[in-house]
Amino acid sequence: MGGTPVRNDIRRLRFEHGEMTQEALANACGITRQTVIALEAGKYAPSLELAFRIAHAFGARVDEVFRWNPEDAGGG
Amino acid sequence: MLLRRGLFVGLSGIALVALWLLIAGPSKVVGVDPGNTGTLLLVAAAWGSLFALSRVSTGGLAREMAPGELKAWIGLGFTVSVLAYAIGQAHVFDGPAIPHNPDANRVGRNIALLVAAWAIVSQVVKGRWRQPVQRDERDLEIAANAGQWARLGLSAYAIGVAVLLGFSPAEKLSWAPPPMIAHLLVLGLIGSCALEYGATAVSYWRDRH
Repeated sequence: MGGTPVRNDIRRLRFEHGEMTQEALANACGITRQTVIALEAGKYAPSLELAFRIAHAFGARVDEVFRWNPEDAGGG
Repeated sequence: MLLRRGLFVGLSGIALVALWLLIAGPSKVVGVDPGNTGTLLLVAAAWGSLFALSRVSTGGLAREMAPGELKAWIGLGFTVSVLAYAIGQAHVFDGPAIPHNPDANRVGRNIALLVAAWAIVSQVVKGRWRQPVQRDERDLEIAANAGQWARLGLSAYAIGVAVLLGFSPAEKLSWAPPPMIAHLLVLGLIGSCALEYGATAVSYWRDRH
């Protein structure tokens, strides 16, 4: 798994939500802390369900958390 | 920190002694097989590593690594050790059927013990991990990918063995009596497990770098 064309603002949103820790977000979404790290580093693209769960944890819409970067998609 | 380093050095030392007893040690010491001691020591080292890492899961290395990655690295070390032992002792299977060959019996028993012990140790430690979520969709994706590598490796190995046995003239197959063929099949299974652990560990490692 290399870089992914799905970018996100998870790190920014965590800090805007009372400096939420990676562990707290992981527990809220039912994932491991290491997956939060991989998401923030752009190394992992979540499933649609996990994207909804993360957005729900921030009280935001999915497109406010995730965006697709066609330049990273290598052909789009 | 010093304690952790001491623990690491101690466990590595135990694992090295265990490997020496299994692979290069004498076949009998006062009528006792030192391979059994090696098996016990190797299992103890694997248990110690997994247990220590499960207890420090809120700090240090375990904070960086997912439970799946830790298990994969330790599993890789363990299965590669078993594979090295099985390859190093392969010559004992070049003889009569296993029930009539005490050396093959001993090696086969040690391999079976190591595999069974690993299955038990990894299951027991899984239940003791402190992290609330041990596996999520990323872990499942990595596991599926590693499983594909293991299947591919096992298929290539099976085809290789089949071609070797099927296309070689009978007089050139004197090294491969039925016990050796049975051993080759077991080697393939252990090798595919090692490949699966390796692919898992490398996937996690790449995600972190």
